Amino acid sequence: MRTLEVVPLTRVEGDGGITVTLDGKKVKSVTLDIHEGPRLIEQMVVGMTPEDNLNVVPRICAICTLSHKYASLRGLEKALGIDPPEKAQVMRDLMMLGENVESNSLHTFMLALPDFLGYPSAVAMLNDYGDDVVRALRLKKFGNHVMQVTSGRIVHGENPGLGGFGKYPTKKQMSEIALRSKELVPDAVRAVELFGSLEYSEYPEAETTFMSVNAPAKKFGLAGDSILISDGEETDADDYKKLTSERVVPHSFAKRSLYKDKTFAVGANARMINMGKRLDGQAGDFFKEHYSDRWLKNPLLNNLAQAIEMLWALEQMPETTELVASMEDPKRAEPTRLTGSGTGAVEAPRGILYHHYDIKDGLVETADIITPTAQNLDDIEMHMKLCAERMLADDKKDAEVLLALEMIARAYDPCISCATHLVTLKRL
Amino acid sequence: MHKLRHTPGDPEEALTEAVETVVGEGPVYVLGLGYVDKADDGAGVLVANTLKKTFPDYSFSEHDGVEGVVLDISQKTGPGTVLFVDAGDLKAPPGTIGIVTRDQIKDTEISTHRVPVALMAAIIERSGKKVAIVAIQPKCLEFRAEVSQEVGRSVAAVVATLSRLMQERNG
Repeated sequence: MRTLEVVPLTRVEGDGGITVTLDGKKVKSVTLDIHEGPRLIEQMVVGMTPEDNLNVVPRICAICTLSHKYASLRGLEKALGIDPPEKAQVMRDLMMLGENVESNSLHTFMLALPDFLGYPSAVAMLNDYGDDVVRALRLKKFGNHVMQVTSGRIVHGENPGLGGFGKYPTKKQMSEIALRSKELVPDAVRAVELFGSLEYSEYPEAETTFMSVNAPAKKFGLAGDSILISDGEETDADDYKKLTSERVVPHSFAKRSLYKDKTFAVGANARMINMGKRLDGQAGDFFKEHYSDRWLKNPLLNNLAQAIEMLWALEQMPETTELVASMEDPKRAEPTRLTGSGTGAVEAPRGILYHHYDIKDGLVETADIITPTAQNLDDIEMHMKLCAERMLADDKKDAEVLLALEMIARAYDPCISCATHLVTLKRL
Repeated sequence: MHKLRHTPGDPEEALTEAVETVVGEGPVYVLGLGYVDKADDGAGVLVANTLKKTFPDYSFSEHDGVEGVVLDISQKTGPGTVLFVDAGDLKAPPGTIGIVTRDQIKDTEISTHRVPVALMAAIIERSGKKVAIVAIQPKCLEFRAEVSQEVGRSVAAVVATLSRLMQERNG
């Protein structure tokens, strides 16, 4: 018996590693080990007001900060019977577009691309792909700017609130974002072309199930009240527990999820599989050009999906900002009750994020947060194990196997900090 | 190997001399890194925020989106120097200040979803500017704890030194 290890797993958010346990050439297990400690956020917010909860829960993560804010808002507003005005809804769409560009640009160009091009890091890539590194920085900076304008700060902005926003941006700010988003479209196109031209290994391929929100009005989007499943089913977001039966495993400080006792995936790939046909513009054209049955089997294609999605996000901004600028600043909508329950489901860059709250007499009674990475962990391990088995059967070297496994884990763009927001360990 | 280990109580001239060895021609930019809610970890941000009051166009912190700032600086023509200021484990007494030169910034990829300092340094260097890190040895990294006295004194020393330098270089 011997083990192969990747510790730490770099170019992901948080502290994790990979362990492959071998018995001769037979792979006994492949685990994505989560070392980051539990953070107990769900217990921390019990007894808080919804407003305080809304300030605390985004601190789960500085990468997906606005996704946590938005999921929390959607859950709390349902619980309290708040119907936010249309301008607030559009602003929330815009802030999510900004976060998507910020996160996907960094992941595609800087964290994932070096592996595919054979470089140890983005730094090593700089001499040959300097322009692409600069593209990534330009896109990330712009994503950060959109987040700052909409939420008030680059990280943990407090402008979005229950029933609306503290302050709405000026028309000038909106027209600047519209102009800049158009200017940056070629950078996103370059990302799509790069990832569309890469060779994707067949070793990790296996059928799995994909889940995403069902965005309203039959459009591609990042929030919705129901969940689309690639097997053709659709489930109300309030029934999220049926989709994410959670459990604890010894090697992880993050919970795991299964659907019908099988692994499933969430993320850009899942969004493309479930809603890609709704894309228009250049993003729609690229989706049609690149989409194939391999998307249903190969997790590495999540990188290409992220690139197409980043292009979609930029293409959405002119219309979205114009809509924001055209509407009067509304007052915040007020709660219509102090006791109730609600679930918010949004698409963080790395997949569906659920926030569920039970509010009693104006205070949080229970909170349940299920992050995309927690949903993906079992699926990552499934693909990694298959990949390791196949590569070792083909007499591939240990270093090649480990790199392939790292690429699989990284393709999901995991956020380990998010995934360890709560876990209960039972020692027998 | 660090150019200098300035310990609390050392004359500031020594720190000034050490910093000047890594500064080239043109203006000096300061980028403060760290997490202010974790006591001494926020030393770099404290330095940058203090300098920003006098040099708003030359001093930036984590909260300004450092990757974007790096991009903007790298697109400016002409020479200059970017000094990252951050808490760093120098294996030295708390408050020790170390100057980490460009060749000592390793291409290590810490496990996080952000642009590595080594990459930002490389991008700045490509634009013809110099880069170094001013590191301060932390004592306390506890959440919501106060900045330690040792690091507080070093933050003041770094601010005084960089302030004089930026006054000379940046006008």
